[in-house]
Amino acid sequence: MEYDINFWLKIAAVSSGGICMGLGAMGAAIGEGYTAAMANEAISRNPNNSGEIFKSMLVGQAIAESASIFALVVAMILLFTNFEATSFVMVWALLGAGLAMGFGAIGSGVGSGFPAGAACLGMSRQPAMGNKLTTNMLIGSAVCQTPSIFSLVIAFILLFTNFDLRPLWPNWAAVFGAGLAAGLSAIGSGIGGGIVAKENCEGISRSPESAGTATNIMLLGQAITQTPAILGLLVAFILIFRVYPETELISPAFALLGSGLCIGIGAIGPGIGEGIASSGGVKWISRNLKHTGDITRLMLVGMAVAESTAIYALVIALVLIFVV
Amino acid sequence: MGELGLIHQLLVTIGGHEFVINIDVVIMSWIVFTILLIFGYLSARKKDIFPGPVQALGELFVKSLYSLTEDALDKEMAKTYAPLITALFLFLVCSNWIGMIPHMHEPTKDLNTPLSLGILGFVLANYAGIKEKGIKEYLKEYLEPIFFMMPLNVIGELAKIVSISFRLFGNIMGGSIIILVVSYLTWSLVLPPFLNMFFVIFVGAIQAFVFTMLTVVYISVQVK
Repeated sequence: MEYDINFWLKIAAVSSGGICMGLGAMGAAIGEGYTAAMANEAISRNPNNSGEIFKSMLVGQAIAESASIFALVVAMILLFTNFEATSFVMVWALLGAGLAMGFGAIGSGVGSGFPAGAACLGMSRQPAMGNKLTTNMLIGSAVCQTPSIFSLVIAFILLFTNFDLRPLWPNWAAVFGAGLAAGLSAIGSGIGGGIVAKENCEGISRSPESAGTATNIMLLGQAITQTPAILGLLVAFILIFRVYPETELISPAFALLGSGLCIGIGAIGPGIGEGIASSGGVKWISRNLKHTGDITRLMLVGMAVAESTAIYALVIALVLIFVV
Repeated sequence: MGELGLIHQLLVTIGGHEFVINIDVVIMSWIVFTILLIFGYLSARKKDIFPGPVQALGELFVKSLYSLTEDALDKEMAKTYAPLITALFLFLVCSNWIGMIPHMHEPTKDLNTPLSLGILGFVLANYAGIKEKGIKEYLKEYLEPIFFMMPLNVIGELAKIVSISFRLFGNIMGGSIIILVVSYLTWSLVLPPFLNMFFVIFVGAIQAFVFTMLTVVYISVQVK
């Protein structure tokens, strides 16, 4: 057996495909389980509406599954494509792609189960609002998928960019770190976005007249909740597209790897925290529609403060890339 | 699959500097401008108290976006900013939907378009803030809560541009990659129309709205 680059490319592709699908299967299943549990509760509360609740449970679960399907697509490509390269950077890029999509699918899968569950429960409470709740569930879940779409973009860039001209040190760490940055940072924002959408569905079922305003505020809250994931995406882009000169030293490579880990792990907390902050705003707007302006302003300020820790992580990640 | 990441570029040398022009983006943006101009002309051509279908559609857009701006800003300022917000939304929605037609590319798929629109919103918001509060009050906000937090406040402000533009870019780019890859894997059978419906029409409309809404909110945060 020859241990040449093709051997290592194959090893990287199959193990990365396995990791990608394994991690990617985690989140969606949790989300779907939550939806099913809420649907059960909804049916036991209001058995007359069981047909509609069942339908909306299936639709919600299908959307929660899409993050997992992204991971499946990436895993299939990793398994069935013949990758050719002359540089060992590609081996690390394949591993990075698998990790990016695998981690990236967790948050969105868990998150988009929340609005689906809340919509089922809302239908048992307020059957007349069924259509409105389904629409809002679709919007909320679709926006929840955004972080996993970001990881998908990074995974595809890593798979199909030609890294042949790049020296192994420190570029292997850049591509691997980019995968970690995009994947890990998507976890928090996905879950956070789901929490916001959940409160919106619940609020609409409690006070239908607030639907329009609350939906706008929900979109706003979800969009800002995605900021940590976007900062991770930014660091991943910088790591991939900046050209690093060859070096004998070991520290630059680990600085690049560290910057990916820094923004990746650092973005998990702010994502969830901003989601919680925004869910409070959305929840109370539907109960107290008159004071939308005040609540929104407080919500935005609170989210900005919760985001500041993600900014610290970004600063350190950029320092690691450009200074160390 | 070879299409992935392929960009048609035009290199122009003016006075020793080399400028790169992404032809696809420019042509597609001009197509979007033309569509919007025709739509504007048709909707305002015969103004009637009983609106025709095109006029009704135009009024729907203008009215709902005006009321969105009025909610976030006040009535007086909405008069200044609402036309821009309406134009922004129409441009974005039209650019996101144009990718549905084969051989057409969304201008928003290239980072340059969302980034320039994001910078536009950022400059506008800060200009509105300075105009409303005065330069002294405006600068003082960067020193809160303590003076040495200034660099982080500035980075936080700049992160807004990154977040607003990368959000749009990532969604549209991701959607088009998924459509391309799945169409390739399934030989364009069965699935692509549904994917187009979800990623182009649904996500495209939501992201256009989110971008518009965030621009309004950035202005309103600076003003109040």
